[in-house]
Amino acid sequence: MTTSPTAPFENPRAARVWRLFGDGRMVLMIALALFVFLTVLYPLFQVVWRSFIVEGSLSLANYEAVFLRASNFVAVWNSLWVSVIATAISVVIGTLGAFVVMRTDIPWKGALSLLFVLPFAIPPLFSAMGWVQLAGPVGLISQGWRAMFGPGPVPWNIYSATGIIFVLGVSNYPLVFLTVAGALQRVDPTLEEAARTAGVGTGRIMRDITLPLVKPAIYGGGLLAFVSSIDNFGIPAVLGMRAQFYVLTTRIYEALTVPNMPLATAMSVLLVGVALVAMVGFRRAEGGRSQYAVIGGKSTTPGIIKLGRAKPWVVAAIVLTILIVVVAPLFALVLTSFLRFWGAPLTWEFLTTRHYEAIFNTPAARRGILNSLLLAAGAATILVFTTALISWLNIKGRVRGAGTLDAIGLIPFALPGSVIGVAMILAWSNPPVGPALYGTIWILLLAYIMRYMAFGLQTSRATLTQIHDSLEEAAMASGASRMRTVRDITLPLLRPGLVAGWILIYISAFNELTVSVLIWTSGSETIGVWIFLMQDSGFTGRAAALAVLTLPVILILYLLMRWYARLEERRQKRQG
Amino acid sequence: MNSSSGAVTVQGLAKQFGALRAIDTVDFSIAQGEFFTLLGPSGCGKTTTLRCVAGLESADTGRIEIDGKPVFDSATGLDLPANERAIGMVFQSYAVWPHMNVAENIGYPLKVRGVAGTQIAARVEEVLKLLDMAGLGGRMPSQLSGGQQQRVALGRALAIEPRVLLLDEPLSNLDAKLRELMRAELKLIQRRAGLPILYVTHDQVEALSMSDRIAVMSAGRIHHLAAPEEIYDRPATRFVLDFVGAVNYLPCTVAGHEGGRMRLDVGGGTLEIAAPERLPAAADLTVAIRPEDLELAATGADDAPRARITLRGFVGEGFEYRLELGGQSLRARTEKTVVFEEGAEVVLTARRGVLVDAAAGLDSAVAAA
Ligand SMILES: Nc1ncnc2c1ncn2[C@@H]1O[C@H](COP(=O)(O)OP(=O)(O)O)[C@@H](O)[C@H]1O
Ligand SMILES: [Mg+2]
Repeated sequence: MTTSPTAPFENPRAARVWRLFGDGRMVLMIALALFVFLTVLYPLFQVVWRSFIVEGSLSLANYEAVFLRASNFVAVWNSLWVSVIATAISVVIGTLGAFVVMRTDIPWKGALSLLFVLPFAIPPLFSAMGWVQLAGPVGLISQGWRAMFGPGPVPWNIYSATGIIFVLGVSNYPLVFLTVAGALQRVDPTLEEAARTAGVGTGRIMRDITLPLVKPAIYGGGLLAFVSSIDNFGIPAVLGMRAQFYVLTTRIYEALTVPNMPLATAMSVLLVGVALVAMVGFRRAEGGRSQYAVIGGKSTTPGIIKLGRAKPWVVAAIVLTILIVVVAPLFALVLTSFLRFWGAPLTWEFLTTRHYEAIFNTPAARRGILNSLLLAAGAATILVFTTALISWLNIKGRVRGAGTLDAIGLIPFALPGSVIGVAMILAWSNPPVGPALYGTIWILLLAYIMRYMAFGLQTSRATLTQIHDSLEEAAMASGASRMRTVRDITLPLLRPGLVAGWILIYISAFNELTVSVLIWTSGSETIGVWIFLMQDSGFTGRAAALAVLTLPVILILYLLMRWYARLEERRQKRQG
Repeated sequence: MNSSSGAVTVQGLAKQFGALRAIDTVDFSIAQGEFFTLLGPSGCGKTTTLRCVAGLESADTGRIEIDGKPVFDSATGLDLPANERAIGMVFQSYAVWPHMNVAENIGYPLKVRGVAGTQIAARVEEVLKLLDMAGLGGRMPSQLSGGQQQRVALGRALAIEPRVLLLDEPLSNLDAKLRELMRAELKLIQRRAGLPILYVTHDQVEALSMSDRIAVMSAGRIHHLAAPEEIYDRPATRFVLDFVGAVNYLPCTVAGHEGGRMRLDVGGGTLEIAAPERLPAAADLTVAIRPEDLELAATGADDAPRARITLRGFVGEGFEYRLELGGQSLRARTEKTVVFEEGAEVVLTARRGVLVDAAAGLDSAVAAA
């Protein structure tokens, strides 16, 4: 029934290559290698190469320029320490939240977890604006403080490193929450039950059994939060530049507005080094892949811990966190969008809709919304499929070289967005072959693909390592070819992971600002770029209004996708 | 189908993982319709051997034929992938696909071979009936018990009437009752289908009760390949003797030898067993006696050893005794009719025994009358 292509080779290595081609793995590998080369390697090469070029010849002058100015060092240092502290905050909130939501009997679980991860969907720029409007010099809290304690300056300053750290921390914890919650869901409950039967209490089980099991996920989420902090532009731009507190992203933005392209390029290369060191450190701590093997081929349901008398307190803590972190800044944002000017008293005569009218009369704002929607969908769809295939070749297909593709695809993860922005300008302003994409919307699509490739690789890798090898082998033994197995078994099993990856990439790309603010041109503006430009030039009301208009779009999409992900989960659990 | 050729032939198979020799030159051949078992402790290379036959692992050297057709040959670089070997396989973890229902799982091997939908449905019905799972085709795997998941895995392997059925410890995750039931069922299904089976297990009871022939493996090598009775009664090596079935070891010296019988001094008395063809040279010997081969009696010959009963346990079909003989603990199994109280003194005789040369390992294995 099967015609067997007998390998006509004496040499075992030649036979192996024949097999790889025969079942399609090699063809796939070559196509994906080309994709990774164009989207990651070539732009990266451009940054490194051009940083050594001054007026057409090789030179170190660009680096000298970077080192000669102390302010550039300060920016690197600021980026690092601010991100480390912010990440610590994210890890604590995210991990605690994940344990409570996934492993205890708190009520309204679905709604609470949905609200808890909401900051994930809110652009950091919006949070920064919201917090300025809450705690800024004439913000709501500051007004309240003065009303109570008399006029004069308030004892805090949102335009500071502390302000940046706080807003970064509360913006990024959902990254930790989502990763840890996913891992908790997949931990084999019998591992915990074994400890319980050995007489170990609930708290101790969490600490001694569950926590070590999900440790790779905590590190993974922490890494996401760290990278997200180090390359964030919106928060330090809104909260830091006014106070002359610069981090790398804001410093490069400045260098490009001058514009000093060579300086920006050289700074970018240094930044790559710094970020790579941080990433290697995290990878070390994360440990080997064997730590992930918690799920088998058998279906199980996770165990739940009863909180007992502590329940109301835990619920109160979660609700309070949601109120402070999610509701308050959004409320401030909405309020500002309806105020005649920022800091105006909250009375009827100062309310207005003129900011909204201004937006509807601006074609560029409408264009920005459409661009953002399409770019995010395009990047997410392309990435989810390409990265799933790369991970598959690497982990299950065992094709030599796929590991290299995976490693290259992960590099942009360690690259602050500013570097990617500079790389895009260098790579596509005047490429050796093909069209000059700089100045068109396509450069943004390429930038988002490069920027979020690692997101796709990470999610698909995590899901794939959870799929027991025997599930694929059973299909091979049943007579399915390699590619058929991927289609019928691997991709369907991967689907929840793919959907999760798609959401992650879509929302990240939709809210992208760091890269976009460097490479946008008239006609290819995005929502984020527009809002930032408004906020930066003092049109606080207009910026807030467009943010408020954008929020329902983001939230509806976000809810739709969450709903789909849940539907998918349920379908897999009990279809039939 | 060529009935003169074996269902599976494995020649000179070897496989290393880094420095570890997982399989160290394994040869065997399975006849058509034969139930063939690889038996051995965990880590001895059973799964690796099975996976090489399946095409899920590539051996370093050797040759494998299935149904007279070569599927692997290190000399020519031939290595057919699993999907071109027309096998059926049951994994230890079952590997039932969680996103497909029972019918889809079982029908999948037919679907990938392009069989028409109505035919698939008919065959799936047939297989479900065979597995005693009729009407459960619409269930999802997560709604099934362990035993049912196991049967789905088996059904999936049987769906295409494979050339050989490969089973990797398929019963190890089941409870005792179900395991016993499935043991018989598996054997019946195999008989009915006339299917050759390559079965992997570390459970000697399973191996002994189901197999036509057993290959006992240790550290990547086959120590003894024979029918179950032969493996049990005349083990080829000390390892096989030790691994298959329970056994008592008694240090002894030869006390006499005449007419095909020999008397052994075990300290505290002599036991008589059939003499081996070749008498051991060494003076320090050990006799190995299975618990059911020790006979207990209230009285007996003057020079027979006398032991004290320390423990008696009822095991359904008889009694299991613990005895003490000169400071050593022995096990004996008797029928229900042989009843002794704990603390009583009994006279021992051996129905059967195997002489083990303490220095050279196992020397000979002889059944006594
Ligand atoms: N993929 C692998 N990589 C490295 N070592 C392996 C691999 N598979 C099996 N081994 C090793 O080979 C030996 C034999 O394994 P296996 O065939 O699974 O034993 P068994 O099934 O008899 O328990 C073991 O020591 C095991 O650790
Ligand atoms: Mg095994």
